Amino acid sequence: MPLELLASIKGARSSEDVAELFSVILKAVPDDGGEDTQRPVMEQAVTVENLRNDEVRECPSAQKEIIRANFPEQKDGFLVVPKVIDD
Amino acid sequence: MESEIGKIHEDLKSGSISCKGLVTLKLKELEESPNNTANYLLAESALEQAERVDRKVQAGEEIGLLEGIPFGLKDVYLLQGSHASGSSAFLKGYIAPYTATAVQKLMEAGAIPVVKENCDSFGHGSSNENSAFGPVRNALNEDLVPGGSSGGSAVNVAKGYTVFSIGGDTGGSIRQPAGFNKVYGLKPTYGRISRYGLMAYASSTDCVGPISRSLEDIRILLNTMSGRDDHDQTTIASSPIPEGIFSEGFPEKGLKLGYYKSFIENEHLDPEISKNFLELIIRLKKQGLRVKQLDFFDTDVLVSTYYVLAMAETASNLARLDGMNYGERMTADTLKEGYALTRSVHFTEETKRRIVGGNQVLSHGHAEEIYLKARSLRSQVTGAFNRDFKEVDLIISPVSPGPPPKIGCSLDHPLEMYLSDAYTVGFSLGGLPTLTSPLGLETGIQITAPKNQEQTILKFAKYLQESFDGT
Repeated sequence: MPLELLASIKGARSSEDVAELFSVILKAVPDDGGEDTQRPVMEQAVTVENLRNDEVRECPSAQKEIIRANFPEQKDGFLVVPKVIDD
Repeated sequence: MESEIGKIHEDLKSGSISCKGLVTLKLKELEESPNNTANYLLAESALEQAERVDRKVQAGEEIGLLEGIPFGLKDVYLLQGSHASGSSAFLKGYIAPYTATAVQKLMEAGAIPVVKENCDSFGHGSSNENSAFGPVRNALNEDLVPGGSSGGSAVNVAKGYTVFSIGGDTGGSIRQPAGFNKVYGLKPTYGRISRYGLMAYASSTDCVGPISRSLEDIRILLNTMSGRDDHDQTTIASSPIPEGIFSEGFPEKGLKLGYYKSFIENEHLDPEISKNFLELIIRLKKQGLRVKQLDFFDTDVLVSTYYVLAMAETASNLARLDGMNYGERMTADTLKEGYALTRSVHFTEETKRRIVGGNQVLSHGHAEEIYLKARSLRSQVTGAFNRDFKEVDLIISPVSPGPPPKIGCSLDHPLEMYLSDAYTVGFSLGGLPTLTSPLGLETGIQITAPKNQEQTILKFAKYLQESFDGT
């Protein structure tokens, strides 16, 4: 898929500097420093036991007002969005 | 132990200074600063809160330790009703609908936010030049960069414009600017402080942390902000670090330090920093500490692993910025063209580079050979830390391979900028607590401990401080 579409950025192109980072990963030799380095680690992931309740929480009205005010375009009390049925 | 917060607290309590006078002074200094650290001043709300503190003092009521203390917030934090731009053109007009948990806790303790601080846009940078508000200037030499991405926060603390600031650290964004401006900066254990209300860069390494001139203040702020948060399910429970730890005897018997050979025997390391680091090792050994040299990953592997994962995560996190519900919007002939135009005009070149790189590694064909391999390397890095911390109690390292560069030299050389993070990113991948102590080397020393052992780090930092004070 073209990068423009992937990144949703007009004129997006790959970078030689970033490609350098990729090539280091491609060439990297896995560490053989014993069992500690061979065990998969997922410490930054949320565990199933730690999930919060699946429930709807009402947003305070002050928050709702700011969210509405942040909307980029408004007309006659409506939030204006671009036409979506176009392809 | 000297605490700036404690000193101001006493002054406020005794009435020798007024809170309104203090806040007014900080706002004036920030406004007139040549360092370009302030994106938005929070004058109205700050002065209102200051007057409330003064009324309490005048009425003879007790005030809390943090009550009336002016502080700064990196402009990636949400504070309800205030601007939150992430130093981007995209969000220059955006108003935060709610307040970040860490900020809320500080405010509940009475601290007063006075400024939203300049930083690299969405945290994307190590020099604080990638900002829609222009570059920040180093506190010690205005021709130099302040480091990034929390450059404005570190400079404000170094110059005394804020008593403390709250930075954000994904791959070194608190520690490196702290070192470049000679202040303390802590990246806590991943999950110790809630990320709720922090604009997400790379969620699996993003950390909230304090920047201060005092170790005791770092302790106070860490305790205030830590704790589990229902809004951030990666948060962990932790115990407060007790008052008085700095007067306990240290080092404890048998304390062992480690340092990484690959960090020191590195062609990119500045010879002066290398020399001073090795002299520090000799000095610590002479003082009776046991120091062990450890093998570790090459720095180019650490940097590449971190950036591949961070780019993938930021590409996902910033996908929500399309100008549809908030932020700047540009329209085009079709919806998709409108998205692409909006994102191409309002993101900086560095942010676009990271989003594009992230989308590349997540795309079919690249995901397996690059993204998944980087994840596997991260597991190995974390495993190596687990192995090393069976041998040593703390790991010390330089903060950066070189001194701060001149303003204008970093943005055109992205790879060099990425490589300047060589010594900070590994500890981010491991989720480990790491403090920059602004002593000994030109850009300071990093002290790293196993998870949740910030207390040992702070005690060792105090030991170093006394050791340097004594010479």
